[in-house]
Amino acid sequence: MNQPIVEVRDLSLSFSRKKVIDGLSVSFPKGEWAVIAGRNGVGKSTLLRALSGVLLPDAGTIVLAEEALAKKIGFISDALSLFEDWTVERAMAFHCRVFDIADFDDRLLKRLGLSQKDRIKNLSAGERAILHLSLVLSQKPSLLLVDEVMHMLDPYIRELFIETLIEHLAASQATVLTVNHTFSEIEKIPERVLVMDGGRFIIDETTEALRVKMKKIVSRDPLPETLPCFFRKTDGIYKEYYIYPFREELLADHALDFQDIALAEIIKAFIGGGYEQKRMA
Amino acid sequence: MNLTIDAKSPLPVYQQVIQAIKLEVLSGGLRDGDLLPSIRDLAKLLKLNPNTVAKAYYALEAEGFSENRSGSGSRVRVPAGRQDSLRKAMLESEFKNFLEKAVSLGFALEDIKQLVERIKK
Repeated sequence: MNQPIVEVRDLSLSFSRKKVIDGLSVSFPKGEWAVIAGRNGVGKSTLLRALSGVLLPDAGTIVLAEEALAKKIGFISDALSLFEDWTVERAMAFHCRVFDIADFDDRLLKRLGLSQKDRIKNLSAGERAILHLSLVLSQKPSLLLVDEVMHMLDPYIRELFIETLIEHLAASQATVLTVNHTFSEIEKIPERVLVMDGGRFIIDETTEALRVKMKKIVSRDPLPETLPCFFRKTDGIYKEYYIYPFREELLADHALDFQDIALAEIIKAFIGGGYEQKRMA
Repeated sequence: MNLTIDAKSPLPVYQQVIQAIKLEVLSGGLRDGDLLPSIRDLAKLLKLNPNTVAKAYYALEAEGFSENRSGSGSRVRVPAGRQDSLRKAMLESEFKNFLEKAVSLGFALEDIKQLVERIKK
């Protein structure tokens, strides 16, 4: 693996008495697109904020590669920090001054028919997200952090958003970390999936490995106890079982229909398993 | 051009891209000398990671299915003399999938022969 763009060691972060991140270590190489998933309130956004430098950790270190320092981290979040009274033009000018940007790419704004004179408070959620994306990409970030914004975009803008990220990755070898709840449209993109729970990553795998290692069985009968089942939905007549980690040998030992599932469903199962464990704890 | 990638398949996405392009070449959808979409364009079209598309393109080039002249993008090459054997290999792999399904439904080889005879008429 090539040199990491960011390396996190033993990171801990609390809000009042609640420990949100608890001794987390991880590193991300250059050019990788990783998805961070997990239950609501599990600390995903907190981690992105810490990586972006907005939040200071209680303990641990975050080491950035030289090219990710200062102005080369882009952070897009659902709590978009834009001055409501400003016009688009003023926000662009301000951003260019702060980040020493000479050439601002406003093609996305034009495609949505946004005028430079529009006030930010009058923009729709999708227009704000695209404005924010344009501002952040104009920094040509080598580390791009995208906190769940895609779910509030209409389908056209969502596609535009995703295509723009793909284009940026193709042009720049940037590292992209996204926190997502809606996956289906991007599920073929990430190379790596991390699932957060209890202040750490409980899953850290390549997408390729996950598609091989998680299978689903739909059955009326209960499954043998020996099968490794990460999550189950057993309220209906037909019960759903998510098998993880799946191994080829299981095929020979069990006459069951192990179904392939897409990343969106794999992640749902990991999150569902997190709730199951919380209930049992 | 009609390339489909199955999000549920455990086959790595870059291998699916390779197969989809080969299929397109063998079925005549892409002809010798045709320009392949750029890595960026195909990634956007199929909503894939550009790294994945790049990996598939390198493999296609290594196998002689495309040629990259610097600056002008990748062009399709139909490997001379190999087209028939590749088409056969593809038919064989599809037929193997079909046979596996037929066997899992409890059919014997004889049933399949009869089916072929019946359809021929």
